Amino acid sequence: MACVGTNPSCAATCRQAALLLALALAPALLTAWLHPKRPAWSWTRPAVTELPLADAERLTPPVIWLDARPDEEYAAQHVPGALSLNEDRWEDLLPKFMAVWRPGTRVVVYCNSQRCDASRAVAARLRHEYQIGNVFVLQGGWTTWQEAHKK
Amino acid sequence: MKWLKLLLRLLAVGVFLVAGVLKVLDPAHFAADIDHFRLLPYFMVAPLALYLPWLEIICGLAVFTGAWRRSALGLLFAMNVVFIAAITSAWMRGLDIRCGCFGAASTAPLAYDLAFDVVLCGVLFWLLRAERRPGSPPAQNI
Repeated sequence: MACVGTNPSCAATCRQAALLLALALAPALLTAWLHPKRPAWSWTRPAVTELPLADAERLTPPVIWLDARPDEEYAAQHVPGALSLNEDRWEDLLPKFMAVWRPGTRVVVYCNSQRCDASRAVAARLRHEYQIGNVFVLQGGWTTWQEAHKK
Repeated sequence: MKWLKLLLRLLAVGVFLVAGVLKVLDPAHFAADIDHFRLLPYFMVAPLALYLPWLEIICGLAVFTGAWRRSALGLLFAMNVVFIAAITSAWMRGLDIRCGCFGAASTAPLAYDLAFDVVLCGVLFWLLRAERRPGSPPAQNI
């Protein structure tokens, strides 16, 4: 923006860019107001409780294991009995989970490893958008589970 | 040269319009994708997820129609540089995430998205250089 006021063509380009930036605000505000899939806003990241595998496997039943990885990875292999619930197909997969979830049920969500974030995102959504308590994230995810259950 | 310019312009417009529309369809998903990069304070994630796709769409339309084309190309180029920096940072930190560049349709590993964005950045830079400045003598228009 240093050119504004000195070079007319550069000033015009900067002015137009500022107008484009401002123009995008209007539909963004409408989306925030009307869109059925608008993101929830908060100052801080919703907290999720992480559990080591040993603690997760000792949870008092009933426990539902949720696989937050993409469909193809779930299809290839998953924790026995785990349901799939990922953000790519949230609307399709959520009803299957809701059909078996009952108040008091503990939920353990996992993704690939400690480096993935999908399990935290799924757990946070269940807690904060659907007010489902007792949702935990498996520390180390699928990698840790596989390591522990190697035959 | 004229046809190459038109082709690359249409390619860039198509990429940003498709990317913007796919993200507008599910802003909550895009917000999660942005958050997975762990680069921004959480309170900025949702506003950015609502704003960025529309900026892509509006700039894409501006490039397509020719209105304020140079400014729109400049903004798209700047956005792409930021995307490249974010993806590189996530890649170097070994994060197991997806780019989210095309909303829920993004399934490629980060390295592919990085390569794609670098090529796109090159295209945008070339188009930006080829675009005449406002007020300069009229070039042969396409």
